[in-house]
Amino acid sequence: MFIIIFTVVMSSPMAGSVASSSSKDRSVSRTSFIPELQSMMFALGDARRPLHETAALVEDIVHTQLVAMLHQACEGALLRGSRVISAEDILFLMRRDKRKVARLLKYLQFRDYKSKLMKTLEDDDTPQETGTDTQAKRQKLAQDFLVWMDQTGELLSLAERHEVDPVKQERLERLERQTRSMDQNQYSEFCESRQLSFAKKASKFRDWLDLSSLEVKPNSIAMEILSYLAYETVAQIVDLSLLVKQEMTAKTNPISHLISASYIQYNTHAEVCAATVEQPSGAIQPCHIREAIRRYNCRHTVSPHLVSCTAYCRSGMAFLAC
Amino acid sequence: MDQNNSIPAFQGLASPQGAMTPGMPIFSPMMPYGTGLTPQPIQNTNSLSILEEQQRQQQQQQQQAQQTNPGLAGTSGQTPQLFHSQTVTGSTTTALPGNTPLYNTPLTPMTPITPATPASESSGIVPQLQNIVSTVNLGCKLDLKTIALRARNAEYNPKRFAAVIMRIREPRTTALIFSSGKMVCTGAKSEEQSRLAARKYARVVQKLGFPAKFLDFKIQNMVGSCDVKFPIRLEGLVLTHQHFSSYEPELFPGLIYRMIKPRIVLLIFVSGKVVLTGAKVRAEIYEAFENIYPILKGFRKTTSCIVFTSSIPVPPELQDLIPDVVYPALPSFFLFLSLSLCLSLSLSLTRHVFI
Repeated sequence: MFIIIFTVVMSSPMAGSVASSSSKDRSVSRTSFIPELQSMMFALGDARRPLHETAALVEDIVHTQLVAMLHQACEGALLRGSRVISAEDILFLMRRDKRKVARLLKYLQFRDYKSKLMKTLEDDDTPQETGTDTQAKRQKLAQDFLVWMDQTGELLSLAERHEVDPVKQERLERLERQTRSMDQNQYSEFCESRQLSFAKKASKFRDWLDLSSLEVKPNSIAMEILSYLAYETVAQIVDLSLLVKQEMTAKTNPISHLISASYIQYNTHAEVCAATVEQPSGAIQPCHIREAIRRYNCRHTVSPHLVSCTAYCRSGMAFLAC
Repeated sequence: MDQNNSIPAFQGLASPQGAMTPGMPIFSPMMPYGTGLTPQPIQNTNSLSILEEQQRQQQQQQQQAQQTNPGLAGTSGQTPQLFHSQTVTGSTTTALPGNTPLYNTPLTPMTPITPATPASESSGIVPQLQNIVSTVNLGCKLDLKTIALRARNAEYNPKRFAAVIMRIREPRTTALIFSSGKMVCTGAKSEEQSRLAARKYARVVQKLGFPAKFLDFKIQNMVGSCDVKFPIRLEGLVLTHQHFSSYEPELFPGLIYRMIKPRIVLLIFVSGKVVLTGAKVRAEIYEAFENIYPILKGFRKTTSCIVFTSSIPVPPELQDLIPDVVYPALPSFFLFLSLSLCLSLSLSLTRHVFI
């Protein structure tokens, strides 16, 4: 059913104002993640059927950001004298934002734990390696690098920190509200959408990124982290856009004008049925996304004379994921 | 009075066992003296009157009191027993001293289901054991090449893995035999079968000429699974049990719940299937399942759009998001009808007045 809309989108201009010029060169024939992105956005809090233009715009943004990130990681790897882009290079890029590093570490921990668990569950015939190597492999890697990079001990403590991640908490709450009002069929669709990720389609993801222009290529763990960062970028975009959308919708309650739009408000009336508006309804429009990106850039640009590396100045756009 | 002081404290309390403790403090011997109503120890008949008095005193909604009174009187014969046994098992319930969180959710005593984990009402579902991993020490050094060459159903790839992999058909198991003499046996469906299979493997090794013994047989891990037969809303579960559960649907479709007591890991899926692992004895699996079942029931995915929110255990942080007055689905519908009826009546009346 998206084929009809697809032809319409082809004629409309892409969001040149936000992304850098590389977006215009991309041809249609290249792999497109638009259907997956639509499912992902639904799973992150958007409406049941996100708009195709919105998904195209998000794909554009994510692609641009990832390519820029890859280039910087490549430079870092070359400086190190390494032949592959490894997890360390990506962690180095993320070093400024502690919360995101903590989230990434938790993700790696979960991955290790899950693989360990699966081994004990399905361990019947074929033991692959001598157990201890695969266990906590990713975690150990990240840990080693943090030891090297960490001056103040802050980064190391991130691994042990059990603080609640406020962004993650807000996402959990939003999803919980969304699912509470769903019926069984909708919920099973929702669960399937949640299971989609870039990690599941690793080969397609690799093609989509188009690594031919890089001098060194990322290894498998770096690819895992990149797919996680891509998903995080989409999640951040949806988070911010929902905020913007809520602001833009007309308000009936005069009090709510006064409440700042720093969090999403929910109607807590007991008798509200799911059919009525409980949270900002309607799909996210491209204008919401553009506004969200603009605000993020305003908030996160670093003044040129403070930054030693020219990364931020050059790309002109702050990374959403790191 | 203690009671009056304690009530406001628990007004906003969102204990995860909120749904479970409606009558417990009333009937339990753990109730402190300072209720201000009766000094003597609680007995069934006395406690009923206390209950009625408390209801009259701290009512939030008058109609609920009238509804609950006959309900409680009717079930008095059965419920005290449940609550007594509840305090005895008490693994998941915490006794809240001198309180009545009951009256924050005044409808829960009405429901004949009563609170979660009353000992006599178990889930009725028994987890089935799927896999048992055990180890045994054969007590002598082994030559894996000889074993691999002469034994049937044995494979040995030293480049891939440093042990012989042997299989028998009855009981259907797989064994990993190491050169040190230690052996791992997997695939059995019960403890006895695992022991029997390990003995069979030991005899095979013995017949091949090695002085094999049967030392330190130990069950290392047991895996069980079952089906609760209703869909579960995992988003709610991960929000309220954040400390125990992790749910990353991009990586794995199930929620991983790490229970502390007993130390079991549960994989909970949306379909209602539950896998339990990490147990050393069978009782741990049963206990873990009995612990998780009421929690899962609270997150049952219903098909209706209006959800009975009071049944969902909510942590204090989210308590303020949920209104103080909660109506169940059906009576609110009638309320709405009656309200609309009144409205239409008044409108028609005013029309008549003005014409």
